[in-house]
Amino acid sequence: MLTFTLRRLLLAIPTLFVISLVIFLLVDLAPGSPMSEIPLTVPPDVRRKMIEALGADQPVFVRYVLWLRQFFWVEPATLFDGWFGTNWAGGEQRILSWQSRAPVFTIIGQRIPQTLTVIGTAYLVGILIALPIGIYSAYRQYSLFDQLGTLFAMIGFSVPTFFSGTLIIIIFAVTLGWFPTKYDTNLHVTDWASFVKQLQQMAMPVMTLGLANAAVISRYMRSSMLDNMGMDYVRTARAKGMSERVVVLKHVLRNSMIPVVTVIALGIPSIFGGAIITENLFGVNGIGAALIGAIHASDLPMVQTLAFIFAVLIVSFNLIADVLYGLLDPRIRYD
Amino acid sequence: MKLKTALLGAACALSFAPAAFADRGTDGEVKFTFPQAVSIMNPFLSSGTKDVYAASLVLEPLAGFDADGVIIPKLVTEIPTLENGGISADLTSITWKLLPDLKWSDGSPVTADDAVFTAAYCMDPAGGCAQLSKFDGVAKVEAVDASTVKVTFTGPKPNPYTAFVGALSPILQKAQFAACQGAAAPTCTDPNNMPIGTGPFKVTGFTVNDTVTLAMNENYRDPAKPAFASAVIKGGGDAEGSARAVMETGEFDYAWNTQIPPDSQASMTAAGKGEFVVAFGTLVERIEMNMTDPDPALPEGERATAKHPHPILSDIKVRTALSKAIDRQILSDVGYGAGGKPTCNVVPAPDAWASDNTGCIAQDMEGAKKLLDEAGWVPGADGIREKDGKKLHILYQSTVNPIRQDFQALVKDWWTELGVDVELKAIDPSVFFGGDAGSPDTFQKFYADVEMYANNSDGTDPETYLSQYQCVNAPSPENQWQGENMNRYCDPAYDAKVKVLTTTVDVAERQKIAKELNDMVTKDSMTVIPLVHRGTLSAHSNTLGGVKINAWDSEMWNVADWFRVK
Amino acid sequence: MFDAATAPLVQVDGLKMYFPIYSGILRRHTGNVKAVDGVSFDIQAGETLGLVGESGCGKSTVGRALLRLYEPTAGAVVIEGEDIAKLTPEALRRKRPTMQMVFQDPQASLNPRMTLADIISEPLIEHTNWNADRRLERVYELMDAVGLNRRFANRFPHEFSGGQRQRIGIARALALNPKFIVCDEPIAALDVSIQAQVVNLLEDLQEKLGLTYLFISHDLSMVRHIADRVAVMYLGRIAELSPRDALFAKPLHPYAEALLSAVNEPDPSLARRPRIILKGDVPSPARPPKGCNFSTRCPKAFARCHEEKPELQEVEPGRHVACFLYASQTGSTGTLEAKEHIQQGEYK
Repeated sequence: MLTFTLRRLLLAIPTLFVISLVIFLLVDLAPGSPMSEIPLTVPPDVRRKMIEALGADQPVFVRYVLWLRQFFWVEPATLFDGWFGTNWAGGEQRILSWQSRAPVFTIIGQRIPQTLTVIGTAYLVGILIALPIGIYSAYRQYSLFDQLGTLFAMIGFSVPTFFSGTLIIIIFAVTLGWFPTKYDTNLHVTDWASFVKQLQQMAMPVMTLGLANAAVISRYMRSSMLDNMGMDYVRTARAKGMSERVVVLKHVLRNSMIPVVTVIALGIPSIFGGAIITENLFGVNGIGAALIGAIHASDLPMVQTLAFIFAVLIVSFNLIADVLYGLLDPRIRYD
Repeated sequence: MKLKTALLGAACALSFAPAAFADRGTDGEVKFTFPQAVSIMNPFLSSGTKDVYAASLVLEPLAGFDADGVIIPKLVTEIPTLENGGISADLTSITWKLLPDLKWSDGSPVTADDAVFTAAYCMDPAGGCAQLSKFDGVAKVEAVDASTVKVTFTGPKPNPYTAFVGALSPILQKAQFAACQGAAAPTCTDPNNMPIGTGPFKVTGFTVNDTVTLAMNENYRDPAKPAFASAVIKGGGDAEGSARAVMETGEFDYAWNTQIPPDSQASMTAAGKGEFVVAFGTLVERIEMNMTDPDPALPEGERATAKHPHPILSDIKVRTALSKAIDRQILSDVGYGAGGKPTCNVVPAPDAWASDNTGCIAQDMEGAKKLLDEAGWVPGADGIREKDGKKLHILYQSTVNPIRQDFQALVKDWWTELGVDVELKAIDPSVFFGGDAGSPDTFQKFYADVEMYANNSDGTDPETYLSQYQCVNAPSPENQWQGENMNRYCDPAYDAKVKVLTTTVDVAERQKIAKELNDMVTKDSMTVIPLVHRGTLSAHSNTLGGVKINAWDSEMWNVADWFRVK
Repeated sequence: MFDAATAPLVQVDGLKMYFPIYSGILRRHTGNVKAVDGVSFDIQAGETLGLVGESGCGKSTVGRALLRLYEPTAGAVVIEGEDIAKLTPEALRRKRPTMQMVFQDPQASLNPRMTLADIISEPLIEHTNWNADRRLERVYELMDAVGLNRRFANRFPHEFSGGQRQRIGIARALALNPKFIVCDEPIAALDVSIQAQVVNLLEDLQEKLGLTYLFISHDLSMVRHIADRVAVMYLGRIAELSPRDALFAKPLHPYAEALLSAVNEPDPSLARRPRIILKGDVPSPARPPKGCNFSTRCPKAFARCHEEKPELQEVEPGRHVACFLYASQTGSTGTLEAKEHIQQGEYK
């Protein structure tokens, strides 16, 4: 297992380099320029000077090498300096957002907490709803509960979040007035009252995303349970005279969880990626909102850095999912 | 009309209720929401309106504009004029006198040096200053004494109210930005996000593209203001969500830029929690005619250049007919509701500068058909007009935008009725406005017969704006397709009149010339077909008092006067 | 061999196992797959009943319904005086130790995430109050009994060979000292070289522990080796139920005859019976023919066969056949032989 992990990690390095180059070229070749955000009242020569000041007029190769250096040397060094008070970075230029002129990693640092809180909670809530629904739906296949579960999953799958989110806003914020429509990122939980406030402002985005997440995972859970429910070893367990609870929760569930855990692990990078639409809708202003904002403004350093971080996360969680699979399923050995 | 009455009502309530004004910091918090979040608080490094408006709560210019576009003093004792001697007789310099005892929010005094530094900061060639045009023609800025700033121009400057005037050109604190000049400008994250200013508020917290938190400035020059102890600007989402947060849920007091469909405007107003206000600046949605031939058969470098006049649109009768066939009132109602009104001018406001040209408002389909008949374009077998065996075919491009696509569809219907074969094209705005000389789809290259977008004049004086239509400003391969004269309109008489305008001092005379120039490109030549005069729709809560919508400066120009209605 | 004095250990009476078919948008109940359609037989204690038939004839379903791994649609399964089909879930669970099953696919029937020791001892946790040491002792005992090395106790099923896995399956079945074991094709998934070992193991265990088997298989020669009596199934019904030797010597039911004609005769001195090739396909159990289930393919079918379903009847002592050929007489062999000759002549 260890050699397998190490080999995969080594293999990931060239993969990520290629990915970074591809992302850089794609982002660069994508139509649009930071100029398009500048109002028409700004004369052309001023525009040109603004672009020059950003360094956006440099050849793509130069910018790529600079970005690599900044990402792999300056940023880690700056982080290290921040922790230990050293001066490895030597005041070198960090990756700056073209849009806000602030260091990209500072922005990411500001945004990670609300993304993890909101999107992470939504993911957790989704899983917690999905597992029982999936298990019971499979156990009572074609029952009324299963039909309702299927309907729920279909709604979660097919209704886009901008629609379900707006609906939730109209019901819970406009009509009932229970929850705020704009997430307050400056709210710090210090006491019970602020904790309640935090729960209130998380409620609607978590509902919106939780529904979508639960829909996906409950289907995986259900089909995995169904796959295992008909297996001979389940019959064996029944023949042994085990109670239904043991049969379902121990024998069937534990085996059914293997693919589901993998799916859940593979979904984790999307938590870090944020939820572009939901974050925008509720003003959560996490990573997803940062990405879409940067794309709109053709903020290349921001888009490039975020896209690459997602790539790293996806590659890592693929590896983690593989390792988990090996740990959970004794039949699988990576030697 | 309704809106105007509402505004007047609000203004009256304000003047008759001085008791409503509280002491400084007694009205709690005022909450803003912007559909685009604030990226930076330094207007010199951003041209985004969201950033400029947010910064206007903190940074102030020497003088600003009121709701009617009239210049008003902010940090100075009075507006310099020829009469009071503030402007030199030869129009080459302007001298500003700072208010006595003016303090930055950190308590240090504001001096003329700060203004001198600000000019140097923006005019530094390595700084990439977004407001460089405000310092156009500035030869030098000097501190005559600690409270006197003198701006000297390279030549006579009939409109000297550019540098240090309006929200786009505020004064920075020299002490804070001294190390941020030139190439270092973008790297000064802290000063850029939390500038020290003279405005009614100071920044206490800033998260990029998310939230700005502000507290009242203890050192603000009026001891009774601001009424609010703190302010917060929450950004992100969309116009609909921002409007809802003010008009339906009442979570926020003021939402800037809530341009939503007319029917949503009505239903949100019905909730009774707030009202929409419109700032009509100079933004005009228009169709520009290409005076040159964009035929793809022409060699690259000659295509869409003055070498080849447009085979169809060079005829003014065709251009006029196309304009006559359009019903601008319908476009305005469908697209913008209260946020728009039909117009025939490229300079639609301020009133003193706008031509009384309204001839285009009424649709005249028959007149348009007659014109085309006269021009020799007669309907063919398929209903499409032809002349000399050539079909009347028009490629009509614009950006990807739901309202623009509605407009394209409507205009296509009218033109089809006229017997014109219309082909529509929608281009991603970041490409269309991106200015990439390598792309065929930029609005400058104009590889189409007509194109639609919106443009505006910066500030009240349209001199720069109107001068864009000079021959020399036509984009061409020679200038890497840069330039603002998209139509390649070229009339020596127009160029001559622009020259006169640049040297005319008398405001009434300037206004007369501007109107003539406006008419030359619109009703006289039909080169530009203005469609809708667009305003900025904003929303404010019924509990927020003192709002006076302003199109000529920041919408929060008088935020110090805002108060909580009790 | 047949001792009528003692009550049989297992009595099956009119067992039916229908799987409902739902179809259409509203998933209405539109029919049934009649996997087992009225099966009756007895098994004496210590006896091995072979159950043979083609794939899909319902023999495995009989095995599973017998232990109520399926809920039977109708009929009674009396084991040691208790009707399994009517027990409450809890009573059934307590009854489980008496009756066990060895499954066809030893790989699939063992939970892949449990070690050998866990698999074998799990029922002990459920049905005894032994402590861990006592359970482990029992696990070792069983491993010895089925010929597995004790060192393997903490391995996972996938680490064993097919034959070893089937030994685990047998050990697991034996854990609670059952009286009756359903062996559902226990050797079908094994290599030929291993098959004999496993069958011998089953025989040894039967001798030692006095077990009763229902041995389900499509391998006729293996059934001939292990079974005392044999039931031949066709399309959910028993065609013939006879003592082994009698059946193999002279099958009575035309289907049994066709089936056995395919068996290699181990004794070369005996004349090899000509092979009877049946025509057509087995009808769908969802829509069995109106008359005898075998009537569509039976070379000896006559009008009545297409109208009525024949019941299983004892036509000779110990021999039960469901066929109208034997409906009106009680075993005039002469007639039968004569008929057989004609048939063979026709089908050469």
